[in-house]
Amino acid sequence: MVAHSGDTRALRTAGRLSEPRPARVESNFDGTPWQVNHQPVVVVREEWRVLDRWWTEEPVVRRYFEVVLESGENTVVFHDGAGGGWFTQRGA
Amino acid sequence: MIACISIPGFELKAALRKAPSLALRPAALAPEPVGSPGTGEPLLGPVTAAAEAAGVRPGMRLGEALATCPRLMLVDPDPAAAEQAWEEIVRSLEDVGFAVDPAALGIAYFETRGVERLYGGLEPALRRALAAVGSAWDARVGVAGRRFAALAAASVARPGQLLVVRDEEMGRFLAPLPLTLLPLERQRYEELEALGVRRLGQLAGLPGGAVAERLGPDGQRAWGLARGGAAARVRGRRPPAELAESLEFPEAVANELTLRRALGVLVETALARPERRDRFVRKVALGARLVSGGSWRRSLTLREPSAEADRIRVALAPRLAELPAPVVELRVEIVELTDPAGRQLELLAAGAEDRSRLRDGLRQVRASSGSGSVCTVVEVAPWSRIPETRALFVPRDD
Repeated sequence: MVAHSGDTRALRTAGRLSEPRPARVESNFDGTPWQVNHQPVVVVREEWRVLDRWWTEEPVVRRYFEVVLESGENTVVFHDGAGGGWFTQRGA
Repeated sequence: MIACISIPGFELKAALRKAPSLALRPAALAPEPVGSPGTGEPLLGPVTAAAEAAGVRPGMRLGEALATCPRLMLVDPDPAAAEQAWEEIVRSLEDVGFAVDPAALGIAYFETRGVERLYGGLEPALRRALAAVGSAWDARVGVAGRRFAALAAASVARPGQLLVVRDEEMGRFLAPLPLTLLPLERQRYEELEALGVRRLGQLAGLPGGAVAERLGPDGQRAWGLARGGAAARVRGRRPPAELAESLEFPEAVANELTLRRALGVLVETALARPERRDRFVRKVALGARLVSGGSWRRSLTLREPSAEADRIRVALAPRLAELPAPVVELRVEIVELTDPAGRQLELLAAGAEDRSRLRDGLRQVRASSGSGSVCTVVEVAPWSRIPETRALFVPRDD
């Protein structure tokens, strides 16, 4: 008989770093956030837009805001223009 | 005696396992994409019985085949599935006691001497071998005193049939068989046909010196095979090392830089596996699952066995350019390792203590948090405007 070693194959599923997480955001009439996860926004430091992959079936349309919350936390949130909803994201 | 198990059109049969309904329709294995290295004009692979009945032959030009049978369906090759299915078959044969030498996909040889006593005779042993392969593959077995004669016998046997050629019958058996059984280039067949030589017996009847002079070393080898081939024993293979690492991407990847980085991680992780310890890599394979559902695989034998991640990565990286479509999973397999070798230790290993403490720390984290809790971050597209596509984290359990 021919002996075989045990199964030594391994499948690693890579995960994404900086994956967006759903956030509870209240916004003004012009779309700027005034509350993020129940914390008031003290200042909006920066705002930018990302339009990408418009040639695919899953285009990326995002409006980003870098905000400082009342607790002093600096965070980045975006509004997803394609699917709707607000998200926080690290590394943006 | 030497037995040969043959499964004609193995790659097509393996690819059709995903779409079994096509097996009854005119279908053929699609040629390699034009432009890939080693391919000239697109030639058809193996074909189904329905396609053969419609006049399509393996090796036909694609245009000619489609003109002959407009209903012909082309099946994408799935080399990874074919390799896996073949490995399963070879293992089944090994599990029932045969020391198998797999010559190519769908063709394997083994000696019957040892197993005849195990199963109570030649025929019961061969029946056991066919049962191990399974009826779905339409395998056939040829047995003879020489390797080539066994292959020839398997080539003319019907599905599920055992064909035994005794030594005294070998010459008479081989004589009427076509020259296409010989491993010759197309132009050699044409040259022989132009000389009026169409059967193995006709070639075997020619003086050896004259054949060598006219057709060179290839012709001399073919002449030797036409006379039955050299007497040589079959040596069973060493089971493959089976060390494989795969990386599944969150979305299809076509960017070569991303793939190169993923390859680097996979090579390092595979080399770090404890099963590899103190052994060098002799043969390695790179495989991928394509976004279209097919697969791709290239294997490579290193000039010198190595355990250096950089050398292996440099050897494999150019193959990434041959990928025909974006990939959803990349895979590195260490197919063959050398025997364990002694390792030259350093008198004062630089940073060895730090590394050892770090390794211990990581081991403790894994023990308390479970497998997959320690990851490596791999930058794959740092230029991307979408933050979550810039880097991946890959679990490390080594």
